Amino acid sequence: MTTSALNVRNLAKDYAGEKALKGVSFEVPRGALFGVIGADGAGKSSLLTILATLLDADSGEADVLGLNLKNDFKTLRQRIAFMPQRFSLYPDLSVAENLHFFADLYDFETAEKEKRMADLLRFSALEPFQKRRAGLLSGGMKQKLALCCCLLHSPSLIFLDEPTVGVDPVARRDFWKLLKSLKSQGITLVVSTPYMDEAKLCDTLLLLHQGYVLSQGSPEEMLAQYPYALHRIHGSKPLHFSARQTPPQGVALVYPAGGELRAATAKDVPDNDLWKQFPGAESSGHVPPDIEDLLFALLSRESTNAGQTA
Amino acid sequence: METSIETRDLTRRFGDFVAVDRLTLRVERGEVFGFLGANGAGKTTAIRMLCGLLQPSSGSGKVAGCDIQTETDRIRSRIGYMPQKFALYPDFSVEMNLQLYGGLYGLQGDVLRTRMETVGKLLSLEPLLSRRTDSIPWGWQQRLNLACAILHQPEIVFLDEPTASVDPVSRRQFWDIIAELAASGTTIFVTSHYMDEVEYCGRVAILVQGGLAALDSPAGLKKTYGHTSLGDVFLDVVERAQTRGTAA
Amino acid sequence: MNASLRRIAVAARKEFLHIIRDPQSLFIVIMLPVVMMFLYGYALNADIHNAELVIEQPVPSPAARVLESRLDGSPFFAVTQILPPSSDPTQVFRARHTRALLRLPPDLDAGLRRPGAASMQVVVDGSDPNVGAQMRAAVEGATQKILLDHLNMKPPKILDQRTVVLYNPQQRSALFFVPGLMAIILLMISALLTSIAITKEKETGTLSQLLITPLRPREIIAGKLLPYVALASLDGILILTVGYLVFGVRVAGSVTFLALCSLAYIFTALSIGLLISTLAKRQLHAMMMTQLATMLPTVMLSGFIFPVSSMPMVLRGISHIVPATYYLQIVRGIILKGVGLHELWIPLLVLCAQGILLFMISVFKFRVKL
Repeated sequence: MTTSALNVRNLAKDYAGEKALKGVSFEVPRGALFGVIGADGAGKSSLLTILATLLDADSGEADVLGLNLKNDFKTLRQRIAFMPQRFSLYPDLSVAENLHFFADLYDFETAEKEKRMADLLRFSALEPFQKRRAGLLSGGMKQKLALCCCLLHSPSLIFLDEPTVGVDPVARRDFWKLLKSLKSQGITLVVSTPYMDEAKLCDTLLLLHQGYVLSQGSPEEMLAQYPYALHRIHGSKPLHFSARQTPPQGVALVYPAGGELRAATAKDVPDNDLWKQFPGAESSGHVPPDIEDLLFALLSRESTNAGQTA
Repeated sequence: METSIETRDLTRRFGDFVAVDRLTLRVERGEVFGFLGANGAGKTTAIRMLCGLLQPSSGSGKVAGCDIQTETDRIRSRIGYMPQKFALYPDFSVEMNLQLYGGLYGLQGDVLRTRMETVGKLLSLEPLLSRRTDSIPWGWQQRLNLACAILHQPEIVFLDEPTASVDPVSRRQFWDIIAELAASGTTIFVTSHYMDEVEYCGRVAILVQGGLAALDSPAGLKKTYGHTSLGDVFLDVVERAQTRGTAA
Repeated sequence: MNASLRRIAVAARKEFLHIIRDPQSLFIVIMLPVVMMFLYGYALNADIHNAELVIEQPVPSPAARVLESRLDGSPFFAVTQILPPSSDPTQVFRARHTRALLRLPPDLDAGLRRPGAASMQVVVDGSDPNVGAQMRAAVEGATQKILLDHLNMKPPKILDQRTVVLYNPQQRSALFFVPGLMAIILLMISALLTSIAITKEKETGTLSQLLITPLRPREIIAGKLLPYVALASLDGILILTVGYLVFGVRVAGSVTFLALCSLAYIFTALSIGLLISTLAKRQLHAMMMTQLATMLPTVMLSGFIFPVSSMPMVLRGISHIVPATYYLQIVRGIILKGVGLHELWIPLLVLCAQGILLFMISVFKFRVKL
């Protein structure tokens, strides 16, 4: 019996003639909030769909909750839940009807079922909307309902594929509060997301790029891999630096960040009035990189010419 | 400075529900204007009125010098609109999609060719012209979407969540293009759920329950509300407005 | 209750909700058989009734007058015009809405007095071969009979020839199309709607949610099928009711046996829909595939419109694998002839075998993964 919730070894998958996953290995401890990040087409969805027993891998092995993914998928399905990228409940049924339907598929006593449903509706703050058709809910509420349907059978592991895409910041924050509270109940969560601010909320991250693992570890561990020294270039007016412009001497990367610029230089380069090389700039200084800066540094080399090579 | 968009008490009701509530705005030419709000705050309804696709219940507005109630046809030829959902033909080549959209705006012959060249260069689409649209990565499809919206050199471009589910690298490149467009005098009216990229906007409006809850530059907003990130400002503004709403 | 049965019931109840939540589709499903019956019953009726007839009459004569008035008075024809002689027949057909032209000789009365001397010509519009042939037979028959009556003569008897039409003595087409419509509508509701309903879950992604619940594939399938069995049965009852009330079609045989056979047919049709849904990725594909694989062969090759025996070998071969061919034999047998299992066990057996085979293939093909 392993202690890890997920143990993935060299998983590979071809999808529509292209290599979606090229040998991915990682481990997720039980009770973790595990984030899968990466560009569009990096293989996040394929990975989650395979681990949720819905798609067969071409090669490689995985143990999920100590069960073999290939052989024990039927048992496994009773212990996990999967929330696909698209809203996948019935839009013509009401919130309560959707919940009832999924609840009825499990063998609950009526009292037990009612209690679970009531708990979930309270947990997700969907109580006032029980009668509303799922198709008429806002994006955030739809995702909450989908999460509730996933939780009905008390799974120990939930896969969520980009659950907050298209959801506004307020609803996104609420959704992550729900995820945090699930984690506190000991449930393992594997979440993919394109939002780097959400990545920071995870215990461990897996950065996928074109089907392979580019980096993994806790956000702190990953940030320690940041290959440059990062500087902020500030001006009294918003600064702009086009991707077409060549960065000044000694600067590897320049990109705008909230009206300022970020410039990445080799690690041992002191700040030394770096701002003087940028028109309109008035000051500069070191800043710690965040996950997005890391992602940008790691991916920019490979995707600068993505259009040409894609 | 020239005014691109101007509205006065623009209101739209659906039955008892007020989707947009007395919206008064002024956007200058060449400005990158961020239009934020939670889902259901009325952003899309407002944009649809500004594009002349929906009649206001009351109030007035001018877009590119045309009245939004009476001159909707003229507005449509002067604006570009990139909808939230992908609006191109996935089975066409990139070039065919561009030609089609150019044709829809009455461009043809040399003019169309020149415009396609210019836009193709601006968005670095040249190497992809012969590819099937659904075979290029999502971030590039969104670029093509933008290319089609600006092919006819509109005065104003409306972008409805252009970068939803686009990875961070492509998003930065996308905003780079938006900045270049604005520098060339095109007004950009953009909605987004990514608060970090909203920082690239010149000014930002935050809509809560159909009404304008805040309007300032990103720096000004951060100062007023005492936060270091626009994300926190947004949450703060929405919460304050909602508390007021429930208290009232 | 058994857990598996309970889950099937849950899935079926959900499917019922989908059906009720889409009143537009439900309305179509219920109205379609009724509308089709009225269309087949009235508009597409090939029976000759008040058909336009033009008579070319060179010289008015007593015999010609009798012919004219009795033809016009019969329920089959309406004499719309009397033409002067030697007009160009093509002109008549081009200019007039007429189906047949009866050309009388100038010396009709004289000719009739000497047996075999009188001649006349019937010109028929053959652009619709069925109507043309019927028109020809009707005009020829009616003219002979009227003239013989007029001359107070009996037809010469070489042999006593009598034709007895069984099962549909008045040759009413309602008796013919009601079974045909049963075959088409039941197929449509069962095959088309199930294939769409399952493909829809694929398209919206809900199937992946269902697959990781305890719901087994066979339970998903059963839950999907049950509501459509009910819907198809409802339509079957509707067709029979309208057939009886409006067109006077009675079921000569056992209604219970008819219901059982129809259930077997519905089962086969559902299995076709199921098989298609395992192949199609989108609702649109499912719809087109069902049209191609079921509707067309059923209408064209089952013997509903064209008799199987007069088809070329290849098509006859295909018609032998179309379930509707066997169902039509059964329904016509029960409704018109009043026969039962003793006479119909072969087509019923084939139908059931087809259903079980298709069902097994599709359950086998229904994948537990995406």
